[in-house]
Amino acid sequence: MKKRLPRFDGLTILQWTIFLFFLVFLVIPLLSIFLVSFTGEPINLPGSLIDSRIFSTTVEKLSHASLEGYQSLFGGSRYLTALWNSLKLSMGVAILVTLVCLPMAYAFARTDMPLKKTFAALATVPLVMPTFISSYAFTLMFGQTGWVNHIWRAFGGEGVLFEIQSMLGIVLVQIFFFFPYALWPMVAAFKTSNSNLEEASQNLGAKGWFTFARVTLPLAGPGIVSSMLLVFTISFSDFGTPIMMAPKNLNLIVVEAYREIAGFFNWSGSAILTVVMVLVAAFFFWMQRLVVRGKEYGTISGKPSRVKPVANRGVRTGLTLYTLFVMMVPILAVGSIFLSSIATTWGYQALPNGYTLDHYVTIFSRSSQNILNSLILASGALILSVVIATFVSYFVIRRGSSGLDFFSSIPLVIPGIALGIALIQTFNTPPLQLTGTAAILIIAYTIRRMPYMIRSTMGTMMAIRKEIEEAAVNLGASNLVAALTVVAPLMVPGISAGAILVFVTVVKETSISILMAPTDWAPMSLAVFQNLLRGEFYTASAMSILIIAIVVALQSIARKITRDPLY
Amino acid sequence: MAFVAIRHLYKEFDGIPALENVHLEIEEGEFFALLGPSGCGKTTTMRCIAGFESPTSGTIEIGGEDVSRIPANRRSCGMVSQSYALFPHMTVFENVAYSLNIRRFYRGGLSDRVSVLAGMLNRKLGRVNRETEEKVQNYLKLVELSHLGDRLPGQLSGGQQQRVALARALIMEPAVLLMDEPLSNLDKKLRNSMRVMIRDIQKKVGITTLFVTHDQEEAMSMADRVAVMSEGKVIQVDTPSGLYSHPAHSFVADFVGSSNILRGEVFPADEGEGSWIIIPGEVRLRSDSRREKGEAMVLIRPESLTLLSSAEAAGQGENRLSGSIRWAAYFGAKVRYGVDLGPFALQVDTVYRSGEPLLQEGDAVMLTVEPNQVVVL
Ligand SMILES: Nc1ncnc2c1ncn2[C@@H]1O[C@H](COP(=O)(O)OP(=O)(O)O)[C@@H](O)[C@H]1O
Ligand SMILES: [Mg+2]
Repeated sequence: MKKRLPRFDGLTILQWTIFLFFLVFLVIPLLSIFLVSFTGEPINLPGSLIDSRIFSTTVEKLSHASLEGYQSLFGGSRYLTALWNSLKLSMGVAILVTLVCLPMAYAFARTDMPLKKTFAALATVPLVMPTFISSYAFTLMFGQTGWVNHIWRAFGGEGVLFEIQSMLGIVLVQIFFFFPYALWPMVAAFKTSNSNLEEASQNLGAKGWFTFARVTLPLAGPGIVSSMLLVFTISFSDFGTPIMMAPKNLNLIVVEAYREIAGFFNWSGSAILTVVMVLVAAFFFWMQRLVVRGKEYGTISGKPSRVKPVANRGVRTGLTLYTLFVMMVPILAVGSIFLSSIATTWGYQALPNGYTLDHYVTIFSRSSQNILNSLILASGALILSVVIATFVSYFVIRRGSSGLDFFSSIPLVIPGIALGIALIQTFNTPPLQLTGTAAILIIAYTIRRMPYMIRSTMGTMMAIRKEIEEAAVNLGASNLVAALTVVAPLMVPGISAGAILVFVTVVKETSISILMAPTDWAPMSLAVFQNLLRGEFYTASAMSILIIAIVVALQSIARKITRDPLY
Repeated sequence: MAFVAIRHLYKEFDGIPALENVHLEIEEGEFFALLGPSGCGKTTTMRCIAGFESPTSGTIEIGGEDVSRIPANRRSCGMVSQSYALFPHMTVFENVAYSLNIRRFYRGGLSDRVSVLAGMLNRKLGRVNRETEEKVQNYLKLVELSHLGDRLPGQLSGGQQQRVALARALIMEPAVLLMDEPLSNLDKKLRNSMRVMIRDIQKKVGITTLFVTHDQEEAMSMADRVAVMSEGKVIQVDTPSGLYSHPAHSFVADFVGSSNILRGEVFPADEGEGSWIIIPGEVRLRSDSRREKGEAMVLIRPESLTLLSSAEAAGQGENRLSGSIRWAAYFGAKVRYGVDLGPFALQVDTVYRSGEPLLQEGDAVMLTVEPNQVVVL
């Protein structure tokens, strides 16, 4: 008897359908954009498969492929400057975020710093808003007319504290809004690195700071480096901050790619920039995996270290105040948006001149379509994600489908702008002319958030022991009925938590929305963006607050679901 | 004709053999134990019968029908696994009712199907029919859990979960009941009472049962017949007393109870039945087992040796061995001595009579054993 015959049951057909989905909406677009970067002209791969005329033009285009584009990239053009600026920005942010987090992470993991719970709650604030809204908030604070500069001038300062539309502005926004990504991994690194060695060092008479620099840091090293690389990738892929804050003379690769496609429809240039972005992001992602790999076991088995009271009261107070300061900046940013959303007018003053709810009335009357769009698009992505992620997890875990595992994690290394450009390129022409439809927007959101959703469903799926499923089969259920009656109900909590998070990130999503959403499907984030461009700041603020409120509400529901495991 | 017949069963995992030529025949209504150390292939055998592993070769028949091509969900093998595998989101009642609902789902009309599926997704939607209700209650009564039908498995003790799993398997009235180390997760005291309960229920229901265990005491005390497995092979199949008194192999002897196993040379006796065994060190033993001349292993159970103090042991005779006490150990009502006989040592069990002084290390003693208790393997 053969070991495993290919099974042509419903599940197998489903598995191939999902493969096809990833092939059409992820692999072909990426492959096409890669080819376009050599040909300099749009390529229609789906069309080539069904139409011989398109096929021959494609072959014709491919025969003219050249490295010209790449030569100009490395020949000192704008592109090279853009790449270099982006690398500088991301490296700077990665290093600075690490430095900013170091004292906080140590304080969380190893000391009896007060208010830890409160601080942990505050640290979620930066993650509730899209970065372009954070940037806007910083402008409200540090811009010409911002209240911080008003206070600065009141204390005798001149002009502005610093120019917000600059590299420094971008760096500051990213530091204060990306630090939670590094903070918790670093806390974990400090918690698990062995504190016995530190005690030994101190017993030998070493001073506290010496122990920290020579023993604690090197032990927590891999965890710190890994979170630094993570922040690099996040900063490099971030679109919201640069699009809001980069001045004319500061080229950044994401903005450059966006302009090439949205402004000039320059396929050659945007394709090259897309390929470069993906390569850089993939390289740093791979490096991060490399650092983490092999260390995981060590950190998991390492016994958690005990919390030591800090002997020096001054140090303790210092750490607390410092953490409070870092956490307060994003809060003040949200607060500024809130004040602006209820202000009659506000500028060159510490506080608004008066208060009103008109802006909320305006958004609910004039922009209700955007709100509805966001909810529809996010629900669509949610449903599609749930279906695909559930079955992908099932196929990966129960049927060992490593192919699906690989495909579904590709989006981790694709910056949003890059995915958007690749999708527009492929779905711009028949036979799959989807650009400008809600469908492709939903698919784009789904693909972009797929790895996170799958992580959540796979975790739940792994927690369901195979014997339970087998017990159902033993009691007479077919595989499908067992999956429906036993596996599915057990997965509901994990799936719903993941689904809510997909919904949340879609509501927050910037790059895909700005790049791909057609006017009649404009979601809230795009509406805010356009309001800002038009100078309608107060309504932009009100809409931002609405986004934040939706995100906060849904996130707390998701957290509640995952915290109360039913069984 | 055996009710369950496993013939020439081979199973390989990635080229590594897990089962080699397993051959078992289980009679209808029999309580059959599969005994062997961990990793010997017991679970694999059971999973082949249940249809969760496909054998590399060999046939499995249940009730005279070859089941090799029947999928796991239609094999009619009730399975109780080591971890019970209860459905954590269903109450005890729903767990037990599961197979009835599934049957209703497949055999019933559209309304039955919808009602069953809805009931599994949401408790309030599913209506249980009267027949199901009664049957589930009967089986809950059988395992003495009538009062706990509304609990979730997470709210039950290990022994109670065990009984739910048993009821859940029995309610579909399978042809065979398969139990994989069902008692190994329970504490010792509970294990003993569960043994009795399982055996009682099995007798009451009259179901053919394959009971997998690595605990020889469990197998010997519960089963009608026992198959001893080692490294993927069945070594011996016999009744518990047969295994104990006539182990076919030193592995069985060793596994089935503590024993003295000696290597020696066998000579068929000239006069009468039996043979002589010469054990290195010039020790001669008389055995009732008849064997060809040659090397052999000899088994003497500790309790079949009689221990006499030197003073009592006057004169000469067959099967008398002199030695000295090396160690002593209490086992409740019996005392086990290690006796040094020079070239080898034997373990001897004696009944402990309270008040009597124990023999001390170094005391000279004499051992005797009846020829019918010297088993040539
Ligand atoms: N799914 C599997 N894949 C590979 N090897 C397996 C698998 N299941 C069992 N084995 C191997 O087969 C042998 C018998 O296992 P098992 O039947 O579980 O033993 P037992 O139940 O007697 O402890 C072991 O060596 C085990 O490692
Ligand atoms: Mg086993």
